[in-house]
Amino acid sequence: MNRTMPFPLIQPVALLLALLTMLMPIIPAQAQNAFGGGEPNITAAFELESEAPKPGETVTLALTMSPAPTWHGYWANPGDAGIPATLKWTLPEGVGIGELSYPVPDTLVIGGIMNFIYEEDYALLMPLTLDASIAPGTELPVSVKAEWLACTDEICVPEEDELSFTVIAGDGTVSDDARARFDGWRARLPAPLGNEASYAVSGETIRISIPFPATSEIEEPYFFPLTDGVVDYSAPQTVLRQGDNLVIETGARSIGGVPLQGVLRIGAHQGLSLTARDIGADGFAGLGDGAVAMDGAGSGSALADAGMATFLLAFGGAIIGGLLLNIFPCVFPILSLKAISLAKAGGAESHARRDALAYTAGIVLFCLALGGAMLALRAFGAEIGWGFQLQDPRIIFVLLILFTAIAFNLAGLFELGTVAVGDGLASQSGARGAFWTGALAALVATPCSAPFMATAMGAAIVLPPLAGMLIFVGLGLGLALPFLILGFAPPLRKMMPRPGPWMDTFRRIMSVPMFISVLALAWLLGQQTGNEGLMIGLSGAMIFALFLWWVGRRQQRGAERSWLPAAPALAAAVAALLVLPVAAGGSAGVSAETAGETLASEAFSETRLASLRAEGRPVFAYFTADWCITCKANEAAAVQRQATADAFAGADVAVLKGDWTRRDAEITRYLEEHGRSGVPLYVYYAPGGEAKILPQVLTVDTLTSLVS
Amino acid sequence: MLKQTLIATAITGATLGGYALIAPSQAAVQNGAEARGFMLTNADGERVSLRDFKGKTVVLEWHNPGCPFVQKHYNSGNMQQTQAAAKADGVVWLTINSGAAGKQGDLTADEARAMIADQDFNSAHYLFDRDGRVGKAYGAKTTPHMYIIDGTGMLVYQGGIDDKPTANQADIPGARNHVTEALKEIKAGKAVSVASSRPYGCSVKYAS
Repeated sequence: MNRTMPFPLIQPVALLLALLTMLMPIIPAQAQNAFGGGEPNITAAFELESEAPKPGETVTLALTMSPAPTWHGYWANPGDAGIPATLKWTLPEGVGIGELSYPVPDTLVIGGIMNFIYEEDYALLMPLTLDASIAPGTELPVSVKAEWLACTDEICVPEEDELSFTVIAGDGTVSDDARARFDGWRARLPAPLGNEASYAVSGETIRISIPFPATSEIEEPYFFPLTDGVVDYSAPQTVLRQGDNLVIETGARSIGGVPLQGVLRIGAHQGLSLTARDIGADGFAGLGDGAVAMDGAGSGSALADAGMATFLLAFGGAIIGGLLLNIFPCVFPILSLKAISLAKAGGAESHARRDALAYTAGIVLFCLALGGAMLALRAFGAEIGWGFQLQDPRIIFVLLILFTAIAFNLAGLFELGTVAVGDGLASQSGARGAFWTGALAALVATPCSAPFMATAMGAAIVLPPLAGMLIFVGLGLGLALPFLILGFAPPLRKMMPRPGPWMDTFRRIMSVPMFISVLALAWLLGQQTGNEGLMIGLSGAMIFALFLWWVGRRQQRGAERSWLPAAPALAAAVAALLVLPVAAGGSAGVSAETAGETLASEAFSETRLASLRAEGRPVFAYFTADWCITCKANEAAAVQRQATADAFAGADVAVLKGDWTRRDAEITRYLEEHGRSGVPLYVYYAPGGEAKILPQVLTVDTLTSLVS
Repeated sequence: MLKQTLIATAITGATLGGYALIAPSQAAVQNGAEARGFMLTNADGERVSLRDFKGKTVVLEWHNPGCPFVQKHYNSGNMQQTQAAAKADGVVWLTINSGAAGKQGDLTADEARAMIADQDFNSAHYLFDRDGRVGKAYGAKTTPHMYIIDGTGMLVYQGGIDDKPTANQADIPGARNHVTEALKEIKAGKAVSVASSRPYGCSVKYAS
């Protein structure tokens, strides 16, 4: 990348050459391999944003690092191994260099060892300040000894370079080219979160709670600890949502006690820098209360306590569900047949026990296979960018449709047909036969077991993988339990009830809890998407059910291809899914999300601001980001209020909104000019007046009094 | 056909389920806790157990001859001197290579013996831990990564060899050698003042 650099970064000989030939100097400083020369694996070069930095001001200096393919460099905290870059400066009087800013890194796990690294070209930025006493045109020779570690997955090479360049004081002009390039690098720096996070350690687990609006999206969340020794880097991280907080749960390496600095990744190369305060082990449970899993990245061992309770409930539910399945019309006959054959066989009791165990294994393995397929599907989904998040209204809607169908199926509106499979395997004698009977009991029972299987599949989609799999195990265990008991308790075999119409009645009754689940989901959907979303969801479900009814009618008539109406049913569901409002403000009132824009605004830009001020209009500019909880709270409490909107409309105030969710370079500069490193920032320009910076915490009065 | 399909799905499910159940856990050892026992083969093909050195102070050093940070301390003679001083005080020094077969720093026993002679190692044994079991049990992350076990079998130090995390030999004279200092304190019957530090170097080249 440094081949296109306009700024002279030159070793002395090269400088001379450049001057002599009057060539535009584009000769990058080359690093030397610490071990015997040759091309370094990471090429380093320096570039100043302004070729002529102005005395008395600060200019950004970039150390650009270009790793060769397969090589990587390290973040400020390298992780379990590795070393960050070090710079030893030799500076002339009047020149100062500030702290390094690192872009958001990537994770790289090699052999269970976590590394925080950069594999693509990256730039470390630092401020360079010239003293005001320096006269323009002064040449200031600067030299630096840079050391860094370059590694591949296999080997590491410490590299170093002595780089020197001359800073020529000037008027501070920045070329458009340089500005664009530096803006690109700056966009990858973490933005300051602005709110304090908290953490607590209990035993070998740490929970870090980070203020983050419940409605704000986050991709690939990961907490990179900057402070060493508190977090176990190689432990998997589980990310949970707890209202307007994000809770990271992972392994602890100490009992805490120190402020924990770090960077929260919120998207590709996007992050928030933050500091978390230790609130003590007593606060540990509180940090997980009511938190909901937001992805399956975590392992089961890192399951939150709160999540554990939910999970145990789901596991117990799965066992009971499996147990209930036994008295379903299409499972019970199999079970009773098997039980009768056991009773009749009268053979050795050890055979009965062996058969019972094999039958259990068959069922559980079949259920595990189903669960595995579900997890594979989910992994594939994540790969192509689906986020299976329970708080996504679309997932709620899909579950709503699924549960509606299940409920109507149980109620007898339509049937799922029969799965005809040969029972050659199951008729084998001995343990093998019993094993396949088990697997087939699960498979053949599909028409009846589908409702419970589907519920388990729904759970597998939203729970951590281990928990999802265990739900399937629970279902299988429950299904196998009666036969298992019969195998070990011979007297019970004679007490088996006979199959009969009572099984159908039972199935109908089971539709009631399913309908109640549908109600709960509808309520959740309404909470998330408001009345409109609720109407769309329910309409979709109704149309879906109508088509299923048609399917049922055709089945009763014995029509061929009775499933044809399922196609429009699915189409209706998909159509509803597409028009479902996804990010609409909820009526829950717990989040800081604003419900629509009461105060209309235009996007902020310096030119728009200048022209509005030239027109003599009062201007209110506010700077916000989706991840900024203070911003959202201020907007809900003061900015997006009717009183404010009325007052501003009365005084013809122009409203400019700067969205810094992604680090917009123009907004960054504006923030810096106004002494801020991040959002929120509220500025008011009276007609003809200068910028008036408003407090961080706004009220309606603060805003309305501006124009009264 | 059905049979094959069923078997395939059962195996897939079982594998996936099993994989989720045995999520790897890398429990590091805490200072003050009893050091985990182990038995490894040395460069001479003998089995060496930590229990063989009961009652003695033991130093564990994670090693990878290809790692520049290890080379810093061996090419300068710093590690050998530290080993010699420990040996003189009756301390048992075990150098452990947890690199997997085929990874950087993997040695045959012959190569190891040649290296030990060539570089004048003063450690009691050069041990192979190719499956990484011991390295992971101790939570060894880097080469070098140092551990000290006192005479009662307690872990009393873990971390780097010194406090200058560079690959530059010139940084050795000005650095605090944590192992030397800790061994002095143990000998004097004092508590180890710096009981843990951040290890630095290349990552241990575990198989997975």
